[in-house]
Amino acid sequence: MGCGSSTPGRDSRQFGRDNSENGGGQDAKNLRVKLVLLGDSGVGKSCIVLRFVRGQFDPTSKVTVGASFLSQTIALQDSTTVKFEIWDTAGQERYAALAPLYYRGAAVAVVVYDITSPESFSKAQYWVKELQKHGSPEIVLALVGNKADLHEKREVAVQDGIDYAEKNGMFFIETSAKTADNINELFEEIAKRLPRPSAS
Amino acid sequence: MSEITSPSPELPSNSSSASSDHDPDPPIQLQLPPLSIHDDPLPPPTSHPGKRNADEDDASISWRKRKKHFFVLSHSGKPIYSRYGDEHKLAGFSATLQAIISFVENGGDRVKLVRAGNHQVVFLVKGPIYLVCISCTEEPYESLRGQLELIYGQVIVILTKSINKCFERNSKFDMTPLLGGTDTVFSSLIHSFNWNPATFLHAYTCLPLTYAARQAAGAILQDVVDSGVLFAILMCRHKVINLVGAQKATLHPDDLLLLVNFIMSTESFRTSESFSPVCLPRYNPLAFLYAYIHYFDDDTYLMLLTTRSDAFYHLKDCRIHIETVLLKSNVLSEVQRSLLDGGMRVEDLPPLPSRSGSSSHLGHPGPPTDSPYRSREPSSGTGGAAGLWHFIYRSIFLDQYVSSDFSSPVNTPKQQKRLYRAYQKLFSSMHDKGIGPNKTQFRRDENYAMLCWVTQDFELYTAFDPLADKALAIKTCNRVCQWVKDVENEIFLLGASPFSW
Repeated sequence: MGCGSSTPGRDSRQFGRDNSENGGGQDAKNLRVKLVLLGDSGVGKSCIVLRFVRGQFDPTSKVTVGASFLSQTIALQDSTTVKFEIWDTAGQERYAALAPLYYRGAAVAVVVYDITSPESFSKAQYWVKELQKHGSPEIVLALVGNKADLHEKREVAVQDGIDYAEKNGMFFIETSAKTADNINELFEEIAKRLPRPSAS
Repeated sequence: MSEITSPSPELPSNSSSASSDHDPDPPIQLQLPPLSIHDDPLPPPTSHPGKRNADEDDASISWRKRKKHFFVLSHSGKPIYSRYGDEHKLAGFSATLQAIISFVENGGDRVKLVRAGNHQVVFLVKGPIYLVCISCTEEPYESLRGQLELIYGQVIVILTKSINKCFERNSKFDMTPLLGGTDTVFSSLIHSFNWNPATFLHAYTCLPLTYAARQAAGAILQDVVDSGVLFAILMCRHKVINLVGAQKATLHPDDLLLLVNFIMSTESFRTSESFSPVCLPRYNPLAFLYAYIHYFDDDTYLMLLTTRSDAFYHLKDCRIHIETVLLKSNVLSEVQRSLLDGGMRVEDLPPLPSRSGSSSHLGHPGPPTDSPYRSREPSSGTGGAAGLWHFIYRSIFLDQYVSSDFSSPVNTPKQQKRLYRAYQKLFSSMHDKGIGPNKTQFRRDENYAMLCWVTQDFELYTAFDPLADKALAIKTCNRVCQWVKDVENEIFLLGASPFSW
């Protein structure tokens, strides 16, 4: 797939702060996690992130190039805070070979598909397999069916999503970045499922 | 600085059908019956169109009426990109173009240009990737071929030259999915062929800025480069504020052009900080670099390029550091001020004996808020001295150019495009390997009197009122050169430039 990339860096610790690389939280009350969004192009990954981080929705489609980096902190009911450092990756085929760059060391992967597109659901399954093979073993996986507001155009049954997620030990939710439906719930649920550094 | 002493002999007007490359073999000129494409005006330019008219194909009358088509196809004839219309519907047309190319290649030759009526069909073969332009814009062959080179370069920016391997494995390889979502990148590049002199001058241009502000930006970029970054580039729209490269790393102006086009035409970079693989064709066409991109405001953005795919957090820290310094030293507000003030205006051209006085155009020691280019005569609406309408000055040594702001009477997009085309033609005739290289050229037509002057150090292209007096025009050119020299601290990036020369 795609084309070659230049040789990967030899030593990732040579410079730069090294504490941001991994999803490991610093203390039990204030977690910082690296989260990556994966999925076919046009399923709404960027829209989900922008809805979550900025509360905005822009219906004009803007293709993501490479990956965008955003962060957002949420407070949970048990007074812990979770800071998500989010990699919103491009869905185009040419970037598929580069995905490890972004999911390496991620504590959470959110795999997104569009409920009106069976192709995007197959693509999501491809990403899940890829993450199971190459992602970190403790990674928290979420499967997200986006564009839930377009139910009259639905082509992927809710049950299909539920079944696939269950089989693969994933958390499943349907969202609409457009209406904001279930967006915060998605990230709150992820936060709850994160392994805590010390048992609370 | 030398002066133009005598008007040079005029060149024959450039209506020759010269189409020669600097290759020894003569170009093939097939005489085909004119294509049934009509010479209709372009649709009004849209600022950043994505794929325009995607529903057209080669059977549509509107498609056939387009003045300038660009096609990218594979050596097996598969469409890769078309400026107009849906690539997939153009499979038959692509196959025809491929057939023409391979027919000539089979004869041990290469097709470069086909003239058909008032249309030119220009071909460029880059390994397994073929590029074709079909145009009735009367641009010189060299210009059109240069544009195809840039389009190819843009493909490499996105995919690297290792795309060729995909064709080695499978000659029928379909490349279109790999270019998914990049229509705006190509349409914006093609649009820039109509307005951006960098596309034919092979030079870049700087935002006018006080020397101190540019130095301050350069110092902090240098710090960042010293920490292991390959290139640190601070830009305002299409203009350079400052740029610094690691030792021995050279950035070609065309690479900068293509990189900037890639960034500026991609909306997602404005949303948040980004990290993207990107290839600089002249630096290393085979490998990706990794670009950290961040917009400080709507116009000003930073690009940090590295070979290390894991450098994001380091680059992010660098950016935070740079931002702090730029804010503290007011560089970002000076940039905004410069945008408001604009650049050099022909109305403000100072009189020639300008060495002595500390008149406003000189390297102004006054407060940095003064624009150095204004002597504040309200625009009379007739351009500058001796009917000077516009100029472009390119410093050969610096690989940089400066062009005057457009002002009356060249103030509509249509007029600007016409002037731009005239410059392109002038540039191409000055650099024609068959006739040139030329030192000076004066030509007059119903639209402009144009004077071009090329020395070892610079190239000056000027456009005057068509009725302008030739001797006065020559004098005015000297004034322009003096003016540029007087303000060079503010319009050029001087000193440690990472560009090769």
